[in-house]
Amino acid sequence: MNALMIKALAFAAILMIATIWVVMSLDIDIVGDSVNAITMGGALAIAVITAAVSVKYINQMKTDTASGELAEESWDGIGEYKNELPSGWAYSFLAVFLWSMWYGFAGYPINTYSQIGEYNEEVLAYNTKFEVVHKDADNATLLEMGESIYLVQCSQCHGNAGDGLDGKAQDFTSRMSKEQVLEAINNGANTLGYPMGAMPAGMAKGADAEAIAVYVAGGMKGGQPAAFGACSSCHGLDGKGNGGMSPSLVEYDATLMKYTIQNGKKGSMGKMPAFKTLITPVQEKALTVYIQSLSN
Amino acid sequence: MFFHWLEKNPFFFAAAISIVISFAGLIEIVPNFAKAAKPLVGMEPRTVLELAGKNVYMKDNCQSCHSQMIRPFKSETDRYGDYSLSGEYAYDRPFLWGSKRTGPDLHRIGNYRSTDWHENHMLAPADIVPGSIMPAYKHQFTNIADIETAYAEAVTVKNAFHTPYGPEFKRTRAAWDAHRPKVLDDAKAIAADMKNKDVKEAVANGQVPEIVALIAYLNSLK
Repeated sequence: MNALMIKALAFAAILMIATIWVVMSLDIDIVGDSVNAITMGGALAIAVITAAVSVKYINQMKTDTASGELAEESWDGIGEYKNELPSGWAYSFLAVFLWSMWYGFAGYPINTYSQIGEYNEEVLAYNTKFEVVHKDADNATLLEMGESIYLVQCSQCHGNAGDGLDGKAQDFTSRMSKEQVLEAINNGANTLGYPMGAMPAGMAKGADAEAIAVYVAGGMKGGQPAAFGACSSCHGLDGKGNGGMSPSLVEYDATLMKYTIQNGKKGSMGKMPAFKTLITPVQEKALTVYIQSLSN
Repeated sequence: MFFHWLEKNPFFFAAAISIVISFAGLIEIVPNFAKAAKPLVGMEPRTVLELAGKNVYMKDNCQSCHSQMIRPFKSETDRYGDYSLSGEYAYDRPFLWGSKRTGPDLHRIGNYRSTDWHENHMLAPADIVPGSIMPAYKHQFTNIADIETAYAEAVTVKNAFHTPYGPEFKRTRAAWDAHRPKVLDDAKAIAADMKNKDVKEAVANGQVPEIVALIAYLNSLK
């Protein structure tokens, strides 16, 4: 033990005593609390080891003499020994090299993170759960779901109450207005894509058309005008669309909802875009329930 | 040897260090970025009318409240449609991603709103969407859009960036005179779906009100 070591140990001791003094003044129980005791022991060990290691290397620098074979290169008079690689370093290098080969050729290509992949998983998981949960949804659930879909996707044009904002879009509180029926009779209609195909313009004229319009706009109640024969061959005697072959004139049935959502519609009021990418089959069912509830 | 020279030139030494350090980044990020930034297959650059509409969009600062960037989250794709791809912005100079959604995202607005809806909405947003805080943009119905500048822009990006506008896009008065009727035809197609009489009249007289150009642009966002 030389003078330098004694100085270093004394310095470490002073540091420890100072630390203990600060801790004591903070009124912390060191001996009684095992965690505090271990912490203080650790601090002591770190101080002693740091001092001892520093002293060892400082001494070595003072007393060591150069030995071994020098490399040929000389950098401004500073030479370098030809030493063996330290074995710890060499093994680490080898391990990292092997890992990088695995990572570069197998790990990264196979395990790579993809934002779109995560999105696809999220959507798949949600859709699967959604289909299972709502496979046999009751009417109240569908109505509630339909309303929230309506408020997000439909209300901007058809209004929060479904009244079509004063003629800017279809009014869901009734099926068709007299003007709409006349418009269809006079100009024909073919934008929904029903199997029956295009409705030609001018199926009825003048007073006949007027009588049909009043009858259909009134919800097809009371005596049927004779002129309705022009309509019933495609729309059915009850006006319900011959089992989905042509649009129903009396209600927003499931086929009308389906074709409108799939294809959109262009009529006298303007154009409704198709919503097929934004509304799933279950949601379509829910919307049908909700929109039917608006006219009942 | 080379490194002797490098060691004596700190600037080039620093440059060489930067290259070495960023090498992995360069070979991984740059090719990927270049690939993703290419326009989608079959994508057409915007027509002159749509470009004029884009300029109206920027002039009235729509991007301050509306983003054009649908992120790949289910909550976003449910509401706005498919997530955005970087190639979709290849012809946008500048792109209008925006960073704030006071209003909804508009990147696919053309899929679910129509000409007549925009017309009603721009006149009185709160009448169409209850509770909306969007201001009315009535001046767009009277201001005339600058389709000449839009044409010049098309010609410029064609020459500078090889944006695939046809050979008829040239830097001459004659080329513009030849193209102008096509722009007006596009405007007439939009105006045919509108109800405002002043707008229809202006378009019939060969002028393009800002609202027509803006709607053409919004309809093209799909």
